[in-house]
Amino acid sequence: MSSADLALVLTVLAGLLLRAAGLALGGALRPDHPFIAWANAVSVATLSAFVVLSIAAPGGLLATVPWPARMAGVAAGAAGWRLFRGGLLPALLAGLAGLLAAWTVS
Amino acid sequence: MTTTPFRTGFREALGAPALAMGATFLAFGAAVAEAGLSLPWALLSSGAVYGMAGQLVLLGVATGPGGAVLPAVAAATAANARFLPMSVAIAPLLGRGMLRWLALPFIAITPWAAAMRRLPGLRESARPRWFLGFALASWTAALAATTVGHLLAPVLPTALRAALLFTNPLYFALLLAADLGRPGVRGAVIGGALAAPLALWLGPAWGLLAAGLVGGTGAFLVGRR
Repeated sequence: MSSADLALVLTVLAGLLLRAAGLALGGALRPDHPFIAWANAVSVATLSAFVVLSIAAPGGLLATVPWPARMAGVAAGAAGWRLFRGGLLPALLAGLAGLLAAWTVS
Repeated sequence: MTTTPFRTGFREALGAPALAMGATFLAFGAAVAEAGLSLPWALLSSGAVYGMAGQLVLLGVATGPGGAVLPAVAAATAANARFLPMSVAIAPLLGRGMLRWLALPFIAITPWAAAMRRLPGLRESARPRWFLGFALASWTAALAATTVGHLLAPVLPTALRAALLFTNPLYFALLLAADLGRPGVRGAVIGGALAAPLALWLGPAWGLLAAGLVGGTGAFLVGRR
């Protein structure tokens, strides 16, 4: 087994452990327990931070997309969202089209 | 034909959620192929780690110079540490039956975000079944896209893969914007956005976890005042 294989297996086990601990803990508390509300706030905040970083300061391959194209993607997605009255799929496609169009132009 | 909660969940995943996941996992499959790792490695990562932040960190650290196992596992687990609060938050909605435990491997950001919006409006007995339908559809889409990405890696232009990666944050941006009116969500969204720069300072492995903890705890405390 290579080191990449071993690292993958151990990461899978760690992820399952985190999920199991969360389900056991959350299942033992009443739904309106403050800890549940805190966990929800942390999860939403993590997602929000991920979105902000991916758009404003991405790393890896995403960083090769010029920032005007990323902004155009967000703006087109928001416009699609309004135009299609909250339809996620058309808004997403509009955002991608906006990004690709702006990237092509730049 | 009667529509069961499982079928409803399955069908609801086959739109924007499947597109957002599919695009990201396709780019991941191609990245794994480029790193010289096999399709089974890519599929095990997508299907069983099932958390893109951790998958990308693992791929980078495990295949980078040195390739040490424990630092790679620690970094990937820290990047996916959100599984813990996410599971705590969704547990009461999945009920106390055994079906809750079937949902365990599928707790990932896309099914979680959809479920947190959808499950409160369903009757209690339907909730775990809806989640399993939604989760199975998105998981299948992720695996299929990983396979396609791995196979097509030699012919996929880098620019296209980069654009596909953008689908995921865009999807979540739209989802969060739609949820701003829900109780408890607005503060956490603002908190997370304000704390995001922490991740630039701490790096990809620990940074997202720190931003979520600081932003989420701040929003929680402000909301209780």
